[in-house]
Amino acid sequence: MNIRKLLIRLAVVVLCVALGATMMVIGRGHTIYFDNKKLEYNGQTYEPFHKVQVFVKGESAGKLQPRDRGSAIWLGQNFHMDLLITDEDGQEKFLGVDLKLPYSIDGIIINLPALLGGAGQDAWMDEFIPAPEPVTDDDPNLDIGDVFGGGTETFE
Amino acid sequence: MSKNKTFGQKAQDLFRNNTVPIMFIIICGVCIYLSGFSWGYLLNQVVTRMGRNIFLILSLLIPIMAGMGLNFGMTLGAMAGEIALILVADWQIWGIPGVVLAMLLSIPFSVLLGLMCGKLMNMARGREMITGYVLNFFMTGFYQFVVLYMMGSVIPIKHSSIRLPRGFGVRTTTDLSNMRQCLDNQWALTIGGVKIPLLTFAIIGLACLFIVWFRKTKLGQDMRAVGQDMEVARDAGIKVERTRIISIIISTVFAGFGMIIYCQNLGNFPTYTAHANIGMFCIAALLVGGASVEKATIGNVFLGVILFHTMFIVAPKAGQNLTASPQIGEYFRVFVSYGVITLALIMYEAKKRRTKSGAGALLAQAQKAQREGGETA
Repeated sequence: MNIRKLLIRLAVVVLCVALGATMMVIGRGHTIYFDNKKLEYNGQTYEPFHKVQVFVKGESAGKLQPRDRGSAIWLGQNFHMDLLITDEDGQEKFLGVDLKLPYSIDGIIINLPALLGGAGQDAWMDEFIPAPEPVTDDDPNLDIGDVFGGGTETFE
Repeated sequence: MSKNKTFGQKAQDLFRNNTVPIMFIIICGVCIYLSGFSWGYLLNQVVTRMGRNIFLILSLLIPIMAGMGLNFGMTLGAMAGEIALILVADWQIWGIPGVVLAMLLSIPFSVLLGLMCGKLMNMARGREMITGYVLNFFMTGFYQFVVLYMMGSVIPIKHSSIRLPRGFGVRTTTDLSNMRQCLDNQWALTIGGVKIPLLTFAIIGLACLFIVWFRKTKLGQDMRAVGQDMEVARDAGIKVERTRIISIIISTVFAGFGMIIYCQNLGNFPTYTAHANIGMFCIAALLVGGASVEKATIGNVFLGVILFHTMFIVAPKAGQNLTASPQIGEYFRVFVSYGVITLALIMYEAKKRRTKSGAGALLAQAQKAQREGGETA
């Protein structure tokens, strides 16, 4: 194999690896949960908004009353959302928020009152951990059986 | 010589050379009438299924070109695609980046499996189809071992939606809802209620262009030479075994890509059985399109998908309307799928024998003429 051929092959491999790495970064999906809930952190209380509507990619991700939760999905780590906050008097405020999402977390809970109240990331960001399922030791029923006419009996 | 043929002879030749597609057009016509589906619904379904299946079927063309028949070993590529999809789903890479990453990731698996398949087929020369078919069963067992026992214990799988609750093994259905139809919905065009997945068709178009271009390359010409006569190709200095292995590797890589496109369209796949019948249905569709064991074109792929899947759509409803049981239509389409493969293989053998006996008769005639000429002299 001549040098030119080897270099071309190496370049193709490097290109594929680089493309794969890029896809891993830009395609990393997160489920983001928006909480409009009261939060007490380091002795400070962040009160929920009267009403807040969250827009992600121009689509409404929830019209949240106090104690409500909305959700949206997002690809990548540079997250942007728009919030339409309505107070008790009916006054509306529209603002855009940019956040950097951690790569390693799948489900991210964002407490909106704490975020907009200026609390630290530890206060307004939390990981969503789904409820654990009961552990079973059984193999799944693959329904493969014995192609030679038998059933799915085990052999001893 | 063909100019001297009468209209009847020409019609007979046309029917003989296109028996399967003509038969299928008639069956589809009757079933469409009986099903009572609207043309809009039918067209929508057929276009969706074209986007889903064509890439997989294109993977069969190159081994046919290399004289290796219908590559039942394409299932190995489908397994590679599934493994890549499981990993990508576990890493939570979604949308088009997830599909691209799965395709990239499937390449090394497909190449390794294709290499193994190609080497085995070289050992079983002349019996490639049955070897590929049996190889599927062997590799399915190995795939199930990897996915059921090694994933989660040796190969890290951490996401609870993918891993079994016991801590290792993958769930019986792999959820791809976050990449469902991401290719199909990109640049999708709706004309008269029919959704046309432009990006998917563009990818299929690129694959077709690749095949057309590949046929003209040195390697493509070598494959055609090997497909026509292995011994002559070997005498001409072509590395026959290597060429055949490359054809199987390309087919397996294509099948891996095809399986990823197929699964993204569905939005999930049965982890342990998705690949099981994929080879059979792809081969059946190609044969329905008028291909044979030794010759297949891109046109056969398109025609085959349209006819085969039209029948898939209309047969249950036609069965229901005709006999009040959709199950009859279901049986009918399974019977036709396998039946068409059998018919195509029989026709191929019959044609081969006819050609052989024709050549034998010509040789005997020539020898007789030579003998008579010698006696006269």
